[in-house]
Amino acid sequence: MTATTTPQGTGAIRAHALRRTFGEVVAVAEVDLDIPAGAVFGLLGPDGAGKSTLIRMLATVLRPDSGTAEVFGHSVTAERDQVTPRIGYMSQRFSMYPDLSVAENLEFFATVRGVGRADRRTRAKALVESMGLDEFTTRQAQFLSGGMKQKLMLATTLMHEPDLLLLDEPTTGVDPVSRREFWRILAGLHREGRTVLVATPYMDEAERCTQVAFLDRGRIQRSGSPDEIKGQVPGQLLEVSLPEPRAAMAILADVPGVTSVHLLGDVVRVLWDADGDPEAALTSALAAAGRSGRVRKVAPDMETVFAYLAEASGAADEEQAS
Amino acid sequence: MSARRIRLLIWKEFTQLRRDPLLIRLLLVMPVLQLILFGYVVAVDIRNLATAVVDLDQTSTSRKLEAAFSGSGYFTITQTPATEDDLRPLLDRGTVKVALVIPEGTQDRLNRGETAPIGIIVDGSDSQISAVGSGYASQIIAQFNADRMTEQGVSVTAPGIDAQVRVMFNPTLDPVNTMIPGLIAAIMMISLMAIMSQAVVKERESGTLEQMFVTPIHATEYLIGKLTPYAALATAQMLLVAAGGLFWFRVPFNGNFWVVLVGLALFMLTCIGLGLLVSLVSRTRHQAQQAVMFIMIPTMVLSGFIFPIQSMPAIIQPLTNLIPLTWALEVLRGAFVKGSGFAALAVPMIVLAGFAVVIFGASIVATRRRIAE
Amino acid sequence: MRNALVRIGAIVRKEFRHLARDPRMLLAVVITPVIQLLLFAYAISFDVENVPTIVIDLDQTQTSRTYLERYEASTFFDVVAHGSTMAQVDAAFDANSARVAVVIPAGFARTLASGEAAQVAVLIDGSEPTAAKVSQAYSVALNQLYSQQLTRQWADQQGLDLSSLGTLEPRIRTWYNPERKSSDFLIPGLMVVILAIVTVQQTAVTLVRERDQGTQEQLEVSPMRQIELMIGKLLPWTLIAFADMALITGLGRTIFGVPLRGDFWTLALGSALFVFASLGMGLVISAIAPSLDTANILAMLIAFLPAFLLSGFAFALDQIPVFLQWVSYLFPARFMVTISRGVFLKGAGFMELWPELVALTVYALVMLVISSVLYGRRSAR
Repeated sequence: MTATTTPQGTGAIRAHALRRTFGEVVAVAEVDLDIPAGAVFGLLGPDGAGKSTLIRMLATVLRPDSGTAEVFGHSVTAERDQVTPRIGYMSQRFSMYPDLSVAENLEFFATVRGVGRADRRTRAKALVESMGLDEFTTRQAQFLSGGMKQKLMLATTLMHEPDLLLLDEPTTGVDPVSRREFWRILAGLHREGRTVLVATPYMDEAERCTQVAFLDRGRIQRSGSPDEIKGQVPGQLLEVSLPEPRAAMAILADVPGVTSVHLLGDVVRVLWDADGDPEAALTSALAAAGRSGRVRKVAPDMETVFAYLAEASGAADEEQAS
Repeated sequence: MSARRIRLLIWKEFTQLRRDPLLIRLLLVMPVLQLILFGYVVAVDIRNLATAVVDLDQTSTSRKLEAAFSGSGYFTITQTPATEDDLRPLLDRGTVKVALVIPEGTQDRLNRGETAPIGIIVDGSDSQISAVGSGYASQIIAQFNADRMTEQGVSVTAPGIDAQVRVMFNPTLDPVNTMIPGLIAAIMMISLMAIMSQAVVKERESGTLEQMFVTPIHATEYLIGKLTPYAALATAQMLLVAAGGLFWFRVPFNGNFWVVLVGLALFMLTCIGLGLLVSLVSRTRHQAQQAVMFIMIPTMVLSGFIFPIQSMPAIIQPLTNLIPLTWALEVLRGAFVKGSGFAALAVPMIVLAGFAVVIFGASIVATRRRIAE
Repeated sequence: MRNALVRIGAIVRKEFRHLARDPRMLLAVVITPVIQLLLFAYAISFDVENVPTIVIDLDQTQTSRTYLERYEASTFFDVVAHGSTMAQVDAAFDANSARVAVVIPAGFARTLASGEAAQVAVLIDGSEPTAAKVSQAYSVALNQLYSQQLTRQWADQQGLDLSSLGTLEPRIRTWYNPERKSSDFLIPGLMVVILAIVTVQQTAVTLVRERDQGTQEQLEVSPMRQIELMIGKLLPWTLIAFADMALITGLGRTIFGVPLRGDFWTLALGSALFVFASLGMGLVISAIAPSLDTANILAMLIAFLPAFLLSGFAFALDQIPVFLQWVSYLFPARFMVTISRGVFLKGAGFMELWPELVALTVYALVMLVISSVLYGRRSAR
């Protein structure tokens, strides 16, 4: 199962100045995208950022108010019939027939997509096995667990072997084990050469993408590969574990060289952008206040990076405003 | 029971209703439109029946007979085919409903003092028309005979029965007067049940019903809160539709205004309650709709609105008493046509009130059971 | 084209599967109409018989009793009470225990014996017009007949010869329904009404359910055309409703003896077209409705009363204002009632009923096109 050849570097998705409003609300404002074939593109952002709207426009399900978008060189508005056979779209809400079984749902959507009978059988078998659904083929979709439901939806979108997968929050509300399995499957698709665009609110999933973009209030705030984005954060990240972390935050924030302080669970993440030994500086600052804890360097993770960047852009906006 | 909570629930329902303009239009506008539309249909009197005349006699007598028919107002002569064979396609297609065949030599036979047969053909595929049409035809011929006798100067002073046949309450026998009140009730029933049956199921499907029951709200409070806005709207509807019937169709009103109001109000409560009950016991909206259909078709057919209960088999007649519309029709027709007052209509009123009580009781039980689940 | 058929086939298979998983729906759609038909066909009738009558005999003579025997003997009148005051008549009418009252004044016998015409009052409760009209005609006829008899008896006694007076004698023939069984008239119409209500409801639900379930979007991203979806959804229901119709026809014939005088295939074709057209109407309703409960409510309101009142089932439609006649043609039941009655009672076939068949076909196509367009426009684009 290999993807139809698209020369490397040719855009899977090219969008320019996409815009869509719903009444008064601007869901997507002036979004540009350039996603090469074979990428695993993560679309990150909080609720209401416009991720679903963007994906649906690319899936030809929603019409943009202005701007252009091309999938594999075909316009999503004017050449819809050339786009849809090559994409698979997985929506945020459950879109299978609840009273039909796994096998029946697969068969139906594949038939509708024009997959021949022989292919339907072989592919369904393969997909069901690889996703661990083989024990549930006769179970009605409404009786599947959350993770199974998502897998079923994914399997259905794969039946016609699309070159591009548009997945809208496929792992939201799914248990962590299923989430890992899901990404294992996505990794497999990536190896086959398929392009994947996945919207997700989970920052940790961003690590597994080849490219990410952060969408907020309808605009792309940052984009690039995970490493590039991490690189945008100057300095060193440290983690401080101690009792009463909240109280310690104020102390640590005052230490010269510390650019930002965050609470993550019960540890404090500190960003240090200066010369010198951050561990020593922090430890001594804590000691001076009568506290002690473990201080160690950690690699920046996407969550912290985005939090920092969001904060920074927020501060920049404030400066601009004043 | 907390008045505050009830007020809150009422406010919530009103707000939701206001956000759904289609619903208000369905509740208020559509019934009036339906009344006017269907009023014309049910009020049709059987007159001006399309008639064909095959006059094989072609004499002054036959022409006089023809004139008697067309002058009666019951028959309108639209076709005059030459032979009896030509009648078949006319009746088959329904172009005419009645045919008068005057055989050759009729006038001669009459002058010789013999009985002359006259053929009257009625379209039996419509039994109302055939029953009434043949009745009218017989009457006209009988009158023709009597007139002829008087003309000939034969005054027969002989014993006979001078039957003074008088129709009470509805002397014109215009169906408007009895069908419109019935139509008012039927329209109200359908719209109220249709809308109420979806009222609660919607909440159950969306999960807000469950949410509500983890609060201290009592079953009765919930019901009152749910019902009040709908009852208010239904009252508005009732007044609109009744006024429409009275003024648009100029239904003569012989009776007591209060009787009608109370009767309609009781009936309205019954309909709302029934719709609500359906809504409470149905799990899905589709089920609710099926249940409503299941209740309404027999109601339309067996309540006496279209088909006289009297004509139903003896076994079925008692069953019709289980249908609220049957009693409402008695009240309405009694009040509109006969001018009956509270005393005469006590029985149907009490039965209607009884229905309302039983249905609401059942609703409360059903609501409590939902909470317990 | 082949692909379109494959896709339609997929939808049809899917719809049948949904139905198999929901036995209650099957029950509602197939069994309930049949049961309802059986029940109502047995119950409803326009035939007026056994009209409860109260008689007030203020004369109490042999002559008056002989006269009253006419009423007792008649199958039309059902003498339920003998009273002695007018107040009793009022009470009987109020309570609906009698619909006709015959009042014979005192001196009845004496008047007749003296060779004069005696007055009798016949009071009829007009609150049920059809019954009243027929009662009116019957009482007039009964009294005329009795009068004629009295006159002839008297003439014989007097030795007069009345045969020089010629009279017209009506010979009444009833076509199509000689026994005037109103059930023959009503059952073909009742079938149509019940099916009309049931079918419109069905599609008004299935398409909206699609939208609500979220599967609609998946179908949009596929090559499936809107019209293929509509056809695919309609076909299973058409088959089921058609089976319904066949079942009901069979039962109508065997249990109620409704004659099938015309061409069966015309009826079959008409039924299939009618069902398809009704379903199409349901589709349009669901395409217009913004939400599922509105679709339900609209379907109920639009399907129900018009089926009963505008189809010609119980109320004749040739006298209503022209504007309303046009409105009645908006409902497929109207055409089907004509077809049904025509085939059952009038022995009609394709030759007579082709206009109605064409009308149903056009209707079905128009509904299909409208709903496809509306649905295409509605999907969130």
